[in-house]
Amino acid sequence: MQTYETVIGLEIHVQLSTASKAFCADDASFGGAPNTHTSAISLAHPGTLPRLNAAAVEGAVRLGLALDCRINRRSCFDRKNYFYADLPKGFQTTQDRAPICLGGRYTTGGASPRTVRIHHIHLEEDAGKSLHDQDAADSLIDLNRAGVPLLEIVTEPDLRSAEEVAAFMSGIRRLVRWLGISDGNMEEGSLRCDVNVSVRKNGETRLGQRCEIKNVNSMRFARRAIEYEVKRQIELLENGGTIVQETRGFDAATGTTYSLREKEEAHDYRYFPEPDLPPVVLSETYIEDLRTAMPILPEALETGFREQYGLPDYDIEMLLQERDTAYYFMEVLEHSGRPEMAKPIANLVIHKLLPWSTQTGTPLSACPVPPGHWIELLEMIDRGTVSATAAFLRLLPAMLEQPDVAPEGLAAGMQLIQSADPDMLGKVVDEIIAQNPDKVAAYRKGKKGLIGFFMGELMKASKGQADPKAAAQLLEQRLK
Amino acid sequence: MTAAGIFAASMQKFRSLSSIQAALRVGTVNCRSLVEHYLQQTEQYSHLNAYVEVWAEEALDRADRLDAKFREHPGAMGPLFGAVLSLKDNICYAGHEVTAASKILEGFVSIYSATAVERVLAADAILIGRSNCDQFGMGSSNENSVYGPVRNALDPERVPGGSSGGGAVSVQTDTCLLALGSDTGGSVRQPAAFCGIWGFKPTYGRISRHGLIAYGSSFDQIGMMGHNPADMAALLRVMEGPDGFDSTAALTQPPAGTIPHPASIACFSETIGHRGLEAGIRDVTLDFMERLRAAGHTVDEIPFDPGGGDLLDYVIPAYYVLSTAEASSNLARYDGIRYGYRSPRARNLEETYLFSRTEGFSEEVKRRILLGTFVLSSGYYDAYYNKAQQVRAILRRRMLEVFNSYDLILMPASPTAPWRFGEKSDDPVAMYLSDIYTVLANLAGIPALAIPAGNHPENGLPVGVQLMAAPGMDENLLAFGGGL
Repeated sequence: MQTYETVIGLEIHVQLSTASKAFCADDASFGGAPNTHTSAISLAHPGTLPRLNAAAVEGAVRLGLALDCRINRRSCFDRKNYFYADLPKGFQTTQDRAPICLGGRYTTGGASPRTVRIHHIHLEEDAGKSLHDQDAADSLIDLNRAGVPLLEIVTEPDLRSAEEVAAFMSGIRRLVRWLGISDGNMEEGSLRCDVNVSVRKNGETRLGQRCEIKNVNSMRFARRAIEYEVKRQIELLENGGTIVQETRGFDAATGTTYSLREKEEAHDYRYFPEPDLPPVVLSETYIEDLRTAMPILPEALETGFREQYGLPDYDIEMLLQERDTAYYFMEVLEHSGRPEMAKPIANLVIHKLLPWSTQTGTPLSACPVPPGHWIELLEMIDRGTVSATAAFLRLLPAMLEQPDVAPEGLAAGMQLIQSADPDMLGKVVDEIIAQNPDKVAAYRKGKKGLIGFFMGELMKASKGQADPKAAAQLLEQRLK
Repeated sequence: MTAAGIFAASMQKFRSLSSIQAALRVGTVNCRSLVEHYLQQTEQYSHLNAYVEVWAEEALDRADRLDAKFREHPGAMGPLFGAVLSLKDNICYAGHEVTAASKILEGFVSIYSATAVERVLAADAILIGRSNCDQFGMGSSNENSVYGPVRNALDPERVPGGSSGGGAVSVQTDTCLLALGSDTGGSVRQPAAFCGIWGFKPTYGRISRHGLIAYGSSFDQIGMMGHNPADMAALLRVMEGPDGFDSTAALTQPPAGTIPHPASIACFSETIGHRGLEAGIRDVTLDFMERLRAAGHTVDEIPFDPGGGDLLDYVIPAYYVLSTAEASSNLARYDGIRYGYRSPRARNLEETYLFSRTEGFSEEVKRRILLGTFVLSSGYYDAYYNKAQQVRAILRRRMLEVFNSYDLILMPASPTAPWRFGEKSDDPVAMYLSDIYTVLANLAGIPALAIPAGNHPENGLPVGVQLMAAPGMDENLLAFGGGL
């Protein structure tokens, strides 16, 4: 087994989150009562024609720019002809000869990065859904999804393991969400992938015969499907068999792959140029405008976060999960003007603000508190003006309630300011010593654990405003 | 004699939109009396089978509403006020059945209207009924309809031409003023020639195809038939122009050029000397040429193939390879799943396709689907589809090149006179070859006007010729035709 290398190429389908479908004005959102996001056009009524959704083109170009592709100045649509009940026109409108993006590459993050070359990206439309298990006698068809725009990213066979596939898919998922062109939701089918797997002896330069595993719809399934398929192919070869080029399905229940059809049975799709759609001609200005408007990509930020700010991997991963999070983090950090604030700001964002954002459904970019207030809060904690506990448990919610009031003022009003004034502290300490003569005696005899009791009394008497560090020092001094 | 009867007797002078509109304005007729007259004509000629459905009540209601509108706002009438039209059974009209004369669309009611229909209605036209045609526009004789053949009024034993045969006869028999048809390879011009009326195919994309049931998408164009070019120009002006529902509509802007008087006209020697051309048709065409010369125009006989080869022989194969390839894909949607005919014998998905399409399509439609599927198949694509695309590019280039030196191209509309029913039914290739002169305009995407040129010296049947112009010269071509 150890003498084999796994070679994997992917065809990833990204469903674009445009408002309307690829070639008509129907609602393109997920779900809805069956067959409600339809019209004469998406139902392929006689006499209807496609018209291209400009937002889908824009999504394709932006992904192409993010993946370092050459943007095709003149791409064309083709018809892929086959019959299926959920394919209303009897053909899929796709790009076969001149796809919108050519070439490109993507490097996965993490400990063992891998650069994967992109062969091309093409724009096409999704089919509807066939439901075979809803009715005893009939298959049911839901055409809400029919015509929703898809981008297909076709990679070169550059991946070498299930782990690399998972890292690549996660990266692509993050990227499409980052660009705002897809929700990347695998459960809802917004991100799907066909996996081409082959194996070859180590050192062999020719590719082995490949099998395509269709429609793997979760990251976990992709991993299991690949692991099974690699094992199957190696065992077959070791037992003197040969791999047959075929399309295989993945059975999630058994964790196995099974043959769908062999190469000889492959469809003849009879591709030909779509006569109803003129070529998509993109001007230099159009492409340059989109390039200029591109956000900084997570891969670029990752290096900076690690090397400039010294953030740990976990923090980086959390901050780069969503563009909104990363941008908010950077906004606050920039406001502080101090790179050494990166870690406390990261903690604030990851542990306090992200949960708030999730609970309230408010994006961080819409957080009402000015970044300067967060800096002030973190500095107050740093100086000991408020305790961390009081700051996060009481002051932070108050800041979100009254975003216009600066935290210092809020803290004062809520009596959360800690005091380190030796006169005030001395008076309180003296009082506590005077009121608890027996406990003082016990302490002095060696029951040092009583320091906690004295601290508690002190905080109570000072209404929580004593600076705990200064107070503990003073107590120990006077109790000697 | 009834009022409508008296009116009918005087209808001969109402063979133009301008005379109808003049009569409407002075009040000698109104829309209702016009429609009543036309309805009576449809009854009188119902045996010709030009209509598959006459919308009598709806047309009368609409006539009354237009009459009322005219009484209240005489200045607000649309440019097609008084124009009663027939609509080919492959153009969608919301709430109305549309079947492309095929069983596969039996009972299908469109949920939307073609852009062309929307526009003629907005211009105050009246639609009187749905005209018979060859199934999915596939045919040159109108014998290929689920509703039975259409008969030529001039000789009911002969075909009216096709595929818009019903539309041609609807105009020929005065059941309407103008007919809306479609022309993929001559389907408006050839029946117009066979019925002795005018037929016009605009530049490809001039009129939106939204709502026109597709046959060959890169050839299809809504066209029209009528008694004179001026009426067709009025209709064209209403229907033409860009449309958000058709990305190929009006991609070419009308050029600034004009057709001068006298005009220079080219006539390809291969078309006049073609072995398939009936002598009688050649005589009428040559006679027409002489009339043009007499009117001061120059007419030159030039070779179609500048190399002296047989380029013209590639026209029919290129057209039938490409149009059937597109048709095989365009007709895939008729699968018995969402609408139209579903075979009652079907018990599973495969049978639904197999039985519904086998029973729903005619032999000719199936022949073209099979042909188109074959030429797109893996291993044959390059030899057929790709080669035909290259031929099309050459043919188109040649046609456009001629317009650098000539204003117009003249040729016959059909190599033969209307034939008797069944004469070509067993020989599809003979039928295809009858499109030799018309498909050039569709291959090149240029406007073409079929003109009634006279009568066949042997049988007295009508003979048509065609004038073609450069892309976008539609109005100029119609104006030139009007001046003849």
